[in-house]
Amino acid sequence: MNLKRDISTSTFSGFALSASLIITFLNVLLNNIPVDIKRVGDELLKLNGSEGVANAVTTVVVYFRGFDTLGEIAVLFIASLGIGLMLDSNIRCNLKAESNFMLKTASQLLFPIIILFGIYVMVYGHLSPGGGFQGGVIIASGVLLLLISHKEFEVPHSVITLIETFAGISYVLIGLIGLVVLDKFLGNFLPNNISDMGLLLSGGIIPIIYIIVGIKVGSEMSMITQNLIKRSDDV
Amino acid sequence: MFEFFNQPEVIKIVVTVGSMTLFFVGLFGLLTQKHLIKIFMSVAIMETALFLLFIGLIYKQSALAPILTDNQQGFINMNDPVPQAMILTAIVIGMAVLALGVSFAIEYYKLTGKTDIDEITSLRN
Repeated sequence: MNLKRDISTSTFSGFALSASLIITFLNVLLNNIPVDIKRVGDELLKLNGSEGVANAVTTVVVYFRGFDTLGEIAVLFIASLGIGLMLDSNIRCNLKAESNFMLKTASQLLFPIIILFGIYVMVYGHLSPGGGFQGGVIIASGVLLLLISHKEFEVPHSVITLIETFAGISYVLIGLIGLVVLDKFLGNFLPNNISDMGLLLSGGIIPIIYIIVGIKVGSEMSMITQNLIKRSDDV
Repeated sequence: MFEFFNQPEVIKIVVTVGSMTLFFVGLFGLLTQKHLIKIFMSVAIMETALFLLFIGLIYKQSALAPILTDNQQGFINMNDPVPQAMILTAIVIGMAVLALGVSFAIEYYKLTGKTDIDEITSLRN
């Protein structure tokens, strides 16, 4: 009986390389643990009150880093476009297995609730934990439930294209209006009083932009899900 | 017994070592696996390790979540919102890019029937 197990060279060298890298990383990180240092976030928290939005993360995502969020939406759009180009084919079918009665009934019951919860998370993104990205992904998960339970369901492509285009154009337009009115791209030109903080209609353009982000993320994630789950018959 | 783990230094060391261990698991998979889908899974694991590191390093037990509620006076004694905002977008972008990579792998399998990276030699000559 051979007690020596064969360890292949690639496994051993991979282990050695990643272990040495990890030891280096750990050495650097553990020697530089941040304890009570001055951060950018502290300054941003001080500035945060001026915009009248209760959720500081939302203000950072949509207002202070609003231009970056526009770029991230563009990255998401390009990824969705690439998936559509790669996996698009004329012969389409859903999952081959027939979904059972329980899944069909439960999906009819749950789908409106999931969509409603997604919209709630999207609209209240400036007051509570949540926002456009999370709400969009929740809506896409509702679409995924419909896709696996109903074989004949298909996300209408032309409608999704319209919604996505509308959302992208209005993001840029709001930014440009801010540039014209306040001399600053994505400037907050709508009323944003601090006394309104905590109300649904507060924060000026910030909730509007987060809803737009949510619409765009939701439609793109729905298209990605459909493109990945639907496949041509030959595979 | 668990008071020891509530010290900020201990929390930071646990977060660093734990997330770097997860990163190591992903890196090991990335270097040794041959299947395309497994390589993308390893990249996703490495991504998750970085998210945990960013969120864990800014955690302070005394500080609050950066959301203003009724019984607070202004944005004081709150956790840093910047890493949370960055990780929030990084999760969505990471998922989209992972889906793009998986779709490339699916399409390559449809065209050639290969998933092993050692057999992908079409560009070699």
